[in-house]
Amino acid sequence: MVSIVFAGVGGQGLITAANMVGKAAVTEGKNVLMTELHGMAQRGGSILVEVRIGDYKSAIIPLGMADVIVGFEKLETARNLPKLKKGGTILLNERRIHPISLTIKKESYPDLAIEERLKDHNPIKVEADQIALDLDNKRVVNTVMTGALFSTGLLEISEESLHAAIKGSFPEKLWEANFKAFEAGKRLSQVQATRVL
Amino acid sequence: MQYDTLLGPEGQTEFLLGNEAVARGIYEAGVSVAATYPGTPSSEIGDVLYRISDRMGIKFEFATNEKVALEIAAAASAGGLRSFVFMKHVGLNVAMDSFVSLSGAGVKGGMVVLSADDPSMHSSQNEQDNRFLGKFAKTIVIEPSSPQELKDFIVMAFDLSEEVGHPVLLRSATRISHVRAPVRFGAAKDKKGWKYQKDPSFLLLPENAYKAQISINERLKRVTNSRYSENFNRVYGDSSTLIITSGAAYNYVDEALQMLNVKARVMKIGLSFPLDLDVVSKEIGKAERVVFIEEGGPFLEEQVLSFSALHSINREFHGKLSGSVPASYEMNVDRLVGFLSKIFGIDFPVKDKTLGLPERAITLCPGCPHRATYYVVKMAMKQKGIKNAIVPTDIGCYTLGYYEPYQLGDFVFSMGSSIGSSNGFTANAGERVISFIGDSTFFHSGIPALINAYHNNHNFVVVILDNFITAMTGGQPTPETSPPFRRVDIESVVRGIGIKNVFTIDPYDLNNSLSIFKKALDSKELAVVISKRECALEVDRKRSPSEIKVFQVNQDKCSLCYNCVSNFSCAAFYIDNGKVEIDPELCDGCSVCSEPLVCPFNAIEVKP
Repeated sequence: MVSIVFAGVGGQGLITAANMVGKAAVTEGKNVLMTELHGMAQRGGSILVEVRIGDYKSAIIPLGMADVIVGFEKLETARNLPKLKKGGTILLNERRIHPISLTIKKESYPDLAIEERLKDHNPIKVEADQIALDLDNKRVVNTVMTGALFSTGLLEISEESLHAAIKGSFPEKLWEANFKAFEAGKRLSQVQATRVL
Repeated sequence: MQYDTLLGPEGQTEFLLGNEAVARGIYEAGVSVAATYPGTPSSEIGDVLYRISDRMGIKFEFATNEKVALEIAAAASAGGLRSFVFMKHVGLNVAMDSFVSLSGAGVKGGMVVLSADDPSMHSSQNEQDNRFLGKFAKTIVIEPSSPQELKDFIVMAFDLSEEVGHPVLLRSATRISHVRAPVRFGAAKDKKGWKYQKDPSFLLLPENAYKAQISINERLKRVTNSRYSENFNRVYGDSSTLIITSGAAYNYVDEALQMLNVKARVMKIGLSFPLDLDVVSKEIGKAERVVFIEEGGPFLEEQVLSFSALHSINREFHGKLSGSVPASYEMNVDRLVGFLSKIFGIDFPVKDKTLGLPERAITLCPGCPHRATYYVVKMAMKQKGIKNAIVPTDIGCYTLGYYEPYQLGDFVFSMGSSIGSSNGFTANAGERVISFIGDSTFFHSGIPALINAYHNNHNFVVVILDNFITAMTGGQPTPETSPPFRRVDIESVVRGIGIKNVFTIDPYDLNNSLSIFKKALDSKELAVVISKRECALEVDRKRSPSEIKVFQVNQDKCSLCYNCVSNFSCAAFYIDNGKVEIDPELCDGCSVCSEPLVCPFNAIEVKP
C-alpha cells in the first residue's frame, strides 16, 4: 500500500508520469487508483495528481497520509505538504514556475517562504529539468521524476513493469529517450527512502 | 493508436480513466448511436469516440449543443437502436425540454443519458445534483461509484432501459469520471437493427401526452416490482448504525470508519430512482441510527425520510437535512471523518491544511490569442474614454479575462448568456456594453440571442473569440472544423442575420485590431468583431518544441516600465530582482509582446 502525490503545474507532464505508474501497477495485477485536479486552466495552473496502490477505494489521499510527494515544481511541492505523512519522502525538482499573480504585482518567486516550509522534511533534490536538457529532450522531465520515484523503493513495482508502461505511454520513436530519462532519474537519489509505517 | 486498447477482448484489464471506461461500456452494451456536446468532466468520452467510434460500430457526433445531442439519440432509440448521450451536469439544463419529453414518450432501443456532475465546481458554474433532474423528469436514475462500475452499470442500464421501455439517467461525478482505475472488460454485445414504427407516444400533443403520464408511472413501478435494485444495490457490515450512501461518496466510507475505528452497516445504493423503499426500510428497521452520505444534495435522504414519515418510522437520522452532514462541496475521507466523529461522539483532531503560500492564479496560456484581444480591447476603451463599460462574457477559456489585469468580464450565467444578457443591459443601461463569446459557445447558444439583438435594434459590441476549437475542454472540434465535416463560417452566419458592422481581425496584429475595436466602439448600431486565430495549444500540438523561437528581454533596452507584465501579463514573464525576464520553457514564441504597442522600447527580442 502506497499513496503518492504528484504536484506541479499544467504542462509539466504530471498526468503522464502518474499514468505510467498506474499502468505498471495494473500490469502486476495490483489495485491502483489515480485522480487529478487541474481546474479550468489548460496550462499554467496548479496540478495535483494522486495515485494510491493497494486496497483503497478513495483515490483522494487524506491529509497526512501520503508516503511521498513527487514535486515537479517548488511552490506546488510546498503547497501539498499537508498531504504528507510525518517523516514522508519528498522528491523535489528544482524548477520554479512563477505565478502570474505575483509577476503582475512585480513580486519575485517566494523562495524563502517555500524553503522555510520544506526545510524540516529533507527533500531529495532532483534536477529533472536540467537532466532533460542534457538529454536534449525537454519533454522527458516527467520520466526523470518517475525514475527518481522508482529509486526510492516505495513503489513495490518492478523496473520491467515500468519499462512496459513507458512503451505503453509513448510512440515508439520516443521510447529510447524515455528509457534514458528513467535511468538518469533512477541514479539520482541513491538514498533509499525509509518507509514510515 | 492511442485508444486501441479499448477494443480489447473480454477478460482484459486496462488502467482506464472513468470516461474511457464509459466508451468501453457503450461498446459492450451494443450501442449504435452516441452524441454529445463537450463539457468537463465528461469530455474525454467524446475524445475517445471521436477517434475510434467507427471501429466500435458506433455513429458518433459532436452536436452543436446538448439538446440537439439528446434528440439525435432519442431518434435512434425510437428506431430500435441502443443510443447514448452524455454531457456535463449543466448540459442537461440545455437538453431539459426534450429530456422531460423523452420520459413521457419512453424508448424502443435502450437509451442512457449520462450526466457528469461537478461537486465543488472544479470547472463549472454550479454543483447541481442531476439526480433531482432525473426524478423531476421521471427517468430511472443509476449511480456508479468507480470506473469499473461506470462500465458495468452502463451495460446493465441499457438492458434495464430496454426491458422497461424507459430512459435511464446515469449520474457520474468528477471523482468517478476523472478517476483512473483497473477496468476488466466484458464481452461486446451485438447491435440491434433499425426498426422504426410509427407510434403516437412519440408525438406529445396533449391527447398523447395525457396518456403518457399513466405509462410513465407504470414503467417506473415495473422497475421496483421486478427488483432491479438487487443488481445495483449492495449492503454489508454489522452494526446498529446504518450508512446509506451512493456514487463517489461511497468511496470514502470504509476508510473514514477505519480511521475512526468504528463500525457501521453500509448500504450502497446504485439504483437511486425509483428507490426500492421496501428493501431500504427493512434495513432501517434493524438500525438505531441512520446516516446519509451523498455527493450532492439530500436525494436518497429525502426519499427515505418522506417514506419514513408516511409509515411513522422513527430513527436517529443524520444527513444534509438534519444538518449533521455539510450541504455543499465534494466529499472526501477527511470531511467524512469530520462529521462522522461528531455523530459517533468521538474526539478526533482536525488537521490543518493552510500554509499561507501564494496562490497560483489560473491564467490564459502563453501565446493565447485571447490575451492579445483583451489587451487591445482595454487599450481601445481607454483611448475612447470608456471607463465603466458593462462586459458580459461567456463560458470558455476566455472567462479567465475576468482576472487581473484584464478584468474584462462581469456577468456570466451559462452558455450563450453573454449575448442574451447584453440585450437586457443595452435596453436599460447608459453604459457601453461589450460582450465576449467563444466560437463553439456562439454555435451552441449565441445565435438566437444575436438574432434577438439585431431584430430589436440593440446597440452593443459582440466580440467572437474564434480559435477554431472547443479549447477549454481539451480541443474538441466545432462546426468550423473540416474536413471531413462541412465548415460553417461564422462571419457568413453573422452577416446572414443582416448585421452590417462586422469586422474580422487577427488578434496578433495589434495595430489593426486597435483601429477596428475603436471603430466598433464608435458604432451607432450592433457591431460584431470576429477575432480569429488558432488556439495556441493546437498550434503546439502540430509542431515540435525545437521549432519555437523563444523571446528574451534585452536588459540594456528595458526601461522597467513594466507595461508587459502589468498590462499584457503573459504567463511566461517573471520578475527576478526587479528585472523582467521571460521563462524560455514557457514562451510560446508568439512575438506579440515584442510589438511596440506592448514594448515601446523594443526590448523584447528573439533569443539567439
